[in-house]
Amino acid sequence: MKTLIRQSIRTGVTFGIVQIFFILIAFNSMIGIMLAKISGIKNPGEIPAPKFLIAYTLLMGLWVGIAALRKKSELSAGQKILAGFSASLTSAVLVGLLEVVMTIILVNKVFVRDFLTVLSFDFIKATLFGMTPATGILVTIGCILLGSLAAVGLNILFNLHAVQEHWKKDMAFLKSLGEKFQYIVRGKYHLLWQIVGISILAVAVILIPMKWGSYWNYVFGTVGLYVILGLGLNIVVGLSGQLVLGYIAFFAIGAYTMALLNAPEPHNLMWGFWPALLLGVILAALSGLLLGLPIMRLRGDYLAIVTLGFGEIIRILLKSDVLTNFTGGPRGIQNIQGPNLFGRPFNSEVDFVYLIIAGVILASFVYNRLQQSRTGRAWLAIREDETVARASGVDTIKYKLLALAIGAAFAGLAGGIYASRNQFTGPDEHALMASINVLSLIIVGGMGNIPGTILGAFTLKGLPEILREFANFRLLAFGALLVFMMIARPEGLIPSHRPKYNEPKEASTNLKDKEVPHDK
Amino acid sequence: MNDPSSLPLTPKGKNNLQTNTNTAVKKIQTFQNSKFMKLLRPILGVVVSLYIVFRLYQVLVVQHEYGADTWTRLLISGLIIGGVYALIAIGYTLVYGILFMINFAHGEVMMFGAYAGLFAFWGFKLINIPGDPPTNFLNAYPIIAIILAFLIGMTVAASLGYFLEKIAYRPLRKAPRLVPLISAIGASIFLQNAAMLLFSPQLRDVTNPDILRRGAGWTIVINGSNVILPYTGVFTFVLSILLLVGLYILVRKSKLGRAMRATALDKKTAALMGVDVDSTISRTFIISGALAGAAGVMWGIHNGLVYYFVGFIPGIKAFTAAVLGGIGNIPGAMVGGLILGIVESMGPAALGIDFQLKDVLSFLILIFVLTFRPSGLLGEVLSEEKV
Repeated sequence: MKTLIRQSIRTGVTFGIVQIFFILIAFNSMIGIMLAKISGIKNPGEIPAPKFLIAYTLLMGLWVGIAALRKKSELSAGQKILAGFSASLTSAVLVGLLEVVMTIILVNKVFVRDFLTVLSFDFIKATLFGMTPATGILVTIGCILLGSLAAVGLNILFNLHAVQEHWKKDMAFLKSLGEKFQYIVRGKYHLLWQIVGISILAVAVILIPMKWGSYWNYVFGTVGLYVILGLGLNIVVGLSGQLVLGYIAFFAIGAYTMALLNAPEPHNLMWGFWPALLLGVILAALSGLLLGLPIMRLRGDYLAIVTLGFGEIIRILLKSDVLTNFTGGPRGIQNIQGPNLFGRPFNSEVDFVYLIIAGVILASFVYNRLQQSRTGRAWLAIREDETVARASGVDTIKYKLLALAIGAAFAGLAGGIYASRNQFTGPDEHALMASINVLSLIIVGGMGNIPGTILGAFTLKGLPEILREFANFRLLAFGALLVFMMIARPEGLIPSHRPKYNEPKEASTNLKDKEVPHDK
Repeated sequence: MNDPSSLPLTPKGKNNLQTNTNTAVKKIQTFQNSKFMKLLRPILGVVVSLYIVFRLYQVLVVQHEYGADTWTRLLISGLIIGGVYALIAIGYTLVYGILFMINFAHGEVMMFGAYAGLFAFWGFKLINIPGDPPTNFLNAYPIIAIILAFLIGMTVAASLGYFLEKIAYRPLRKAPRLVPLISAIGASIFLQNAAMLLFSPQLRDVTNPDILRRGAGWTIVINGSNVILPYTGVFTFVLSILLLVGLYILVRKSKLGRAMRATALDKKTAALMGVDVDSTISRTFIISGALAGAAGVMWGIHNGLVYYFVGFIPGIKAFTAAVLGGIGNIPGAMVGGLILGIVESMGPAALGIDFQLKDVLSFLILIFVLTFRPSGLLGEVLSEEKV
């Protein structure tokens, strides 16, 4: 009993601190505004109406209640109520203390916005629900208690444990369904099924961009570019296991090649899109080789830091005045000419979406073929243990360089298309944050496989575009998500499967005594 | 590697097994370095050093662009910034020595320390002290105010370091090496944006007490022109040297220091010898956080501008410094920090390149050190496991 209360109080303290943090970054008013928009109010303003903030507080209480009862399904109803109550009371008291401090600020008219930027007098009044301070604080505490008791009540009534069991059963059913589906797809008529599947996908991919507005096409195109980038980085990090942090430098090389060869300023070369794209890819691959040569003996964190340094060097050089005459300096390069295919210029987002889809298909194809090949297995061996790989006859330096060059080539491709689509490229588009974004998307999606990369790109690049209201909180949530993912599910949303050697059934008895060749 | 002060105690307590592995590792390394690498590296090294010598000759002897006064100014600013880098670098080195992970969020810990110092000074300025003429706490008792500001900054940063380890790194201690690094990157992004949302994205000026006015200082006359030795700079440098010496004594002489060194060497054996590994790691994070917090307050006092991104570049620079001196090695981090500060401030002038490119210079140093001497200036030869 004592340990239970102690545990709940600890949960309560944690959540109290989280809630105080939320209030200090004005997360409550953001949720309030969202609730107001959902309920149909068109223009809720900076600070939402009190009823929405009360709803937010109730939701927070619900969250505390759920958290207090996590992994405690064996408790009796009384114990559950006790746990929920002590946790929510603790966090409510903490939030109440914050509101007392805020009241003091409000009453004495202390100007604290220099320190904590959200604490304007209007905001404090809204946080106290527009009531007198004492009532406001009491209402807050009451809401948190009420919310958590609601969570406890739901927990007791619906017996979460049973729900979980049921959920597991459903998941098992889904899994068996998936296996059956795979059996059909890979079975006798697999070719037919593949043709049907690919044609459905193709029709969808061709038709959907035409129906969408240009905004959605832009978002979709960005996601596609990040898929190409992710696949490229996946070759380096996911397949050959080298952590490269300055990956966006190769993207910058592709983008700047495109820009310098196709913009009126500063050189007015106007080579056209396709040669520039090709040259960008080649240059990116070459720079990957050049960077790789001296640093190939580094591993792990050291490699990460060196490549980070390389990326920053490229960015600082692009930004400095030294290269202004050559690369446009900090202003970047504008008015990049778009591509031209069979005499037809690309002038809408839809054209670029098709181009990007083609790029994604090409990249996925190359990635897939490489992964299945002898090269892919060599990379896998290097990733698992470089020393053993070398001992087994894999030329590690050659394969590592190859991985870096091919990964860089993918980035060059994405960079060229990106610069051409935006008609602009500048040094700040290639900051470290972009590299980290790409790395995060392959890690969140699941390292080393194509579906994971696509899912990761949609999650990290597509979702934030959809959730525009969260703009300020996007990167905050992103950082928290990275930490959380590493703790809860480090293998990513779609984990990779390791390839297995399937012994042929008929020959298995004969082969037992002989050596099984591992390579072709 | 015979330097007794390097954090992992390799020379004396090494057993046969480890020696064998080390020779095996060396064999593999030499094998790896065969082929073109063997040719390429010396050629690159000779070319680069010849170029540097040539540029130095040109700038110093032929062109004679800068006089002794300018060089003194650059040296002063280099030493000051180097002291701050050294303080931050210690944090990287301590954590790397024990956990073999780069604490990517260390720069953000420093940033929170800088904010704490900034707010402490602002708060002290708001406390009015009646008198003739009426003044405020900051200027009435400047020494107490400065000490309090440092205490506040160090406490905030230390507790941040403690919670960082507890929340983001401790659950991942047995995970593959990539995982804690990503978690650290996530924590870094989170902390930056938390600071932006809490304190707003604008740049803020630090209000120094009058005795530490920015820009004021002793004047030295060299070559007929005045070179200012700023009070803030001298204060920063002296304080960072004091803190570094204090830390060195702590690690060498105290019981906690011994526990830290034992944990760095071998966690399992240290636990068998009665060292509480978890609490030692926690305390390491507290110490490195406190030093970063002090560095942050100093940054605010000397440079005067604090914003949410202030920790990022110094963090990476300090990591470079730690690598330069030999990561995991405390005197190495100090020397590396000072060298990096000096190179960064005098390098562009000495090589005759644009001052905008000073960051390029430090990243180039990082790449060259890691390529030619990954163990750093004072470091031991790293085993396979650590690199």
